[in-house]
Amino acid sequence: MSDDRHDDMEIDPLERQLRAALKPRDPPEGFAAGVMARIAAEPAGPRRARHSPAVAGWVGFGLAASVVLSVLLAHQWQVRRIEQGREARRQLLEALRVTDEKLDLTYRVVNAQPRAALPQHSGA
Amino acid sequence: MKTFSRRWLIAPLAALLTSVALAAAPPGLLVLPEFDALAKKATESVNISLDPALLGLAAGFLDSSDPQDASAKQLITGLKGIYVRSYTFDADFAYPAAQVDAVRAQLAPPAWQRLVQANSSKDHTHVDIYVCADHGVAQGLAIIASEPREFTIVNIVGAIDLAKLHQLEGKFGIPKISVPDSGGGKDDKGK
Amino acid sequence: MSGDEECTRGDLLTRALGGERAAFAALVRCHQRAVYSLALRMLSDRHAAEDLAQDVFLQLYRNLATVSSESHLTFWLRKVTLHRAIDRLRREPRYEVAALADAELPASEAPAGDPILDRRLRQLLDELPPAARAVVLLRYQEDLDPADIARTLRMPVNTVKSHLKRSLAQLRERITSTAWALT
Repeated sequence: MSDDRHDDMEIDPLERQLRAALKPRDPPEGFAAGVMARIAAEPAGPRRARHSPAVAGWVGFGLAASVVLSVLLAHQWQVRRIEQGREARRQLLEALRVTDEKLDLTYRVVNAQPRAALPQHSGA
Repeated sequence: MKTFSRRWLIAPLAALLTSVALAAAPPGLLVLPEFDALAKKATESVNISLDPALLGLAAGFLDSSDPQDASAKQLITGLKGIYVRSYTFDADFAYPAAQVDAVRAQLAPPAWQRLVQANSSKDHTHVDIYVCADHGVAQGLAIIASEPREFTIVNIVGAIDLAKLHQLEGKFGIPKISVPDSGGGKDDKGK
Repeated sequence: MSGDEECTRGDLLTRALGGERAAFAALVRCHQRAVYSLALRMLSDRHAAEDLAQDVFLQLYRNLATVSSESHLTFWLRKVTLHRAIDRLRREPRYEVAALADAELPASEAPAGDPILDRRLRQLLDELPPAARAVVLLRYQEDLDPADIARTLRMPVNTVKSHLKRSLAQLRERITSTAWALT
């Protein structure tokens, strides 16, 4: 949507009414106390960010380095593959959404007309 | 001079390439232009081309425990491609009808048959749904929708199950619309 | 210290991350309204909304170390609340009518607008599919723009805009037919 259309929508009475109807509501009395009571039953405090311990050791440094490198490369490939897969999935769902939207549009147009004759199809 | 002679060549070359592409295309597949110039004018555009490889990749990332993903997985079984071009503009009929008509020209019998033609003169909306049948089996579907500020082409290639496609309604965030004489579902509210 | 003053203190998150429970409790108080309201408008059930909102804060407590700033905290709370609500709605049958006793009660403060229309709008909002409902709430309750809504719900921006367009059209159509029915 262009900014101009967005501005136009801002003076739409329905949008004003929606904002009024959706004003945030307070939870019931004692809500925060209820949360803290459940936390008190938790075994430990909030987990702090942990830093990985430094890898130490001199023995087999070269072998370790090449293992790490191949693991990193495989990981990178996998990460890329996962990104591609997720993007393909996102595009698929978007394509199906658009298809759904246009089918819905068809139904609405057809059903807005009183018994409009539809072209006969010879069957697919 | 250089520009004029180049332009002189482009149109017949494009027509030749399109006819060659059409001849080589599997049944059900439309040759869709990229619509680059249109995309630049549009306020929103959707350009999706999922060939068999990408469809397969997407299927591997669909979560069967999610209802939306599960519906998608079912629907794309047996499909060979899904292609969408959809453009929204901030003025009425900012897109040239000739470009939409060029795609419609591919949807001619005997390969393609029009299933539905829906026109609303009040809303200036036209939707055509075509199916490509090969020996009685649906091999492709095309939806061409033109609205005042939006036009959309959807091409689904493969053994599309029209019954499953109908089940799309209400699944991808689009509310179910109660259709008269369809025995409207018990889950329709506000009726 | 008043509630508002407490919430504008910049060190609450830092102190909560340091393990100070009072600071975490203050964070809950500062954000409980937004979280509870989102849950309530998604689930249309006070008890379920309260339960879900408490779960969200419990999850926040367990994962506080992953929150990097106040703005990230707000984003995190909205995201988790809505994803949990959507998951919950998907597990339950669609369009289940909430018992009147569990439904949202009228506001205790004097309403500024039209309370009947407000209530009707909220009822019509219930008829939207969960994802569309979440989009509408983020737009009109939380005042987010489509790009931020897309990030919060992990949805393409075009999908967000489509949900808004279609949902408004549906609400407009049903509100109009309500008006005709009432006249």
